[in-house]
Amino acid sequence: MIARIKSEITLWRVIVAIIFVTGLYATYIRFFEGFRASTNLSDQMPWGLWVGLGTLCGIGLSAAGFGISAAVYLLGMERYRPILRASILISFLGYLTVMVGYLYEIGLPWRFWHPIVMWNHRSMLFDVCICIMTYTTVLTFEFAPAVIEKLPWKAFRETVLRYHHKILIGVVLAGVLLSSMHQSYLGGLFLIARGKIHPLWYSQYMHALFYLSAIPAGLALTVMAIYLSMRSLNVRVDFSILSDCGRMIQMLLIVYAFFKFLDLVSNQALGYAFQRTSEAGYFWLEVLLFLAIPIFLLSYDFVRSNPERLYWTSAIVVAGFMVDRLNVSINSLQTAMGTHYVPKWTELASSVLVIAAGVIAFRYAVIYLDILPKMTVKPATRWISNAGVPAQA
Amino acid sequence: MTKQKAMLIDIKRCIGCLSCETACKQLHGFGTDPEPTLSDTAFTVVETRGGTFVRKVCMHCNDPACASACPVGAIGKTAMGPVVYNADKCIGCRYCMLACPYQVPRYQWTKLAPFVKKCDMCADRIEAGKSTACAEACPVEATIFGDRDSLIAEAWSRIRGDSSYVPRIYGLEELGGGSVLFVSDVPFEKLGFKPAPTGNQPMPTLTASALGDSPKVVIMGGTILSALYWVTQRRHEVALAEAEEKATINRSKGKRS
Repeated sequence: MIARIKSEITLWRVIVAIIFVTGLYATYIRFFEGFRASTNLSDQMPWGLWVGLGTLCGIGLSAAGFGISAAVYLLGMERYRPILRASILISFLGYLTVMVGYLYEIGLPWRFWHPIVMWNHRSMLFDVCICIMTYTTVLTFEFAPAVIEKLPWKAFRETVLRYHHKILIGVVLAGVLLSSMHQSYLGGLFLIARGKIHPLWYSQYMHALFYLSAIPAGLALTVMAIYLSMRSLNVRVDFSILSDCGRMIQMLLIVYAFFKFLDLVSNQALGYAFQRTSEAGYFWLEVLLFLAIPIFLLSYDFVRSNPERLYWTSAIVVAGFMVDRLNVSINSLQTAMGTHYVPKWTELASSVLVIAAGVIAFRYAVIYLDILPKMTVKPATRWISNAGVPAQA
Repeated sequence: MTKQKAMLIDIKRCIGCLSCETACKQLHGFGTDPEPTLSDTAFTVVETRGGTFVRKVCMHCNDPACASACPVGAIGKTAMGPVVYNADKCIGCRYCMLACPYQVPRYQWTKLAPFVKKCDMCADRIEAGKSTACAEACPVEATIFGDRDSLIAEAWSRIRGDSSYVPRIYGLEELGGGSVLFVSDVPFEKLGFKPAPTGNQPMPTLTASALGDSPKVVIMGGTILSALYWVTQRRHEVALAEAEEKATINRSKGKRS
């Protein structure tokens, strides 16, 4: 008996347990003792890790859903259909984590519904709220078939799916437009903080740069999630699809790097990168992780066509993206606001809890639903490419 | 139409007695201990910058960044001038604090149901025809309250009458102007008045241009995507038809042979 219990205790289960215990305790502090006890936020730093990591990274890294669905449904790139559902699921769960995070962020969470009925169309944040709510509905719709097809009532299932199919393209189109809007509006949030944001990040085109950087980051997260699913779960995707994703990530990063550089030059902000300031340091960390290293690595076939190397390169892209978003939302503001903000453990623990819940939900969805093609025969080697498995979507 | 009210703060006349601070705190029922900076219990403070007393208070902008930023429209400018906050709408997102170029709004970080706190230019009092509490308390007329137009005239006459004044009324045009005006004998830059990030343009224009582009982008994007979808579908249909044709030809060939 004890031996059986012992065998159930694995490293990852222990880690998950720690995340849940600390996260739930942090959640208790947040909702029952308030901001002062649970955060290091201040009048000088009104937005911190919850916005930077929870919202900006959460939405940005969920960009693959609209990217892949546009590619497959609208552009007819059928090749990516096998990873379509996975990317939609990542987006769906990503947006759910952001919605939960929203309850932590706002001071009066029981008024979460106010933006729905109290409109201020001049507010960037209002547009972000409405877009995110609408797009989460779209994602629910796009993801719904994966659940509906598992329902036991055949007639109901078929009717619903038939009608679903009829309006799917319209919904996908709306979803792509909504995503494009709020991915950029998230950057637009900071437009009004001119004079506070460090010139290395402030630009009148911040919203466009946010849009351009979100898509490669979202794709990189999708590659990571699919790699991990293939490694630990009974699913299989033709690896060359992920390889092509790697190529696409590289291309999109080059496009972003080009416009970011152009933007810095046109704002005459390039000089700030060579000053001895902490901002310059953060800037180069971002350039290195998000642009230089991935673009360099992804240009080699032996990186792109090797699952493990592609996975770690994607991880660098995701990390670099997170550095970028935290730079914009926290580091770029510190000098002008005259403050130094380091998040409290409770902010980090609650964010990690919400993310971990999303990851676990992803895992069980892949196990119990048809998210990725299930492996029918166990292949002799782990990474055999079996294009023969029919794509499901 | 109601005339827009305003406050004129004369930095040269201020003697740093903190009467305005105390009056404000008494009016709101806060403790009367002076605080170093604005807080959720200090809507105005008198700071000392190189021996000069500088009052800090909400500028009550004509086109406030905070009001444009608020997602639920909890902040607005009244016809009489004050920028007021509606606590019943607020969700506590604190975007107003990020947006405000003067870093005025403060938050009740210690409360379980926290609200934003800032000067409301005694909106209720001036609605009732009274003056703001701080202006009423000032013993040397360093802060005076009145119609905005007449205060501007008063400010110019003070500047003209005394050559030691800087020939500039801060708050008249900066960021579109507001209902709090400053005159000073020390250059404003030396007193911690930061250069206005958008010059004389109101801050909300920064967001408006990006938001104004979005209908165009959405319409264009929607059209392009629909067109691409149509092309994709058409290709698919053509490919299907061709394949069918081929199959028919093959079948007929098979019959012949």
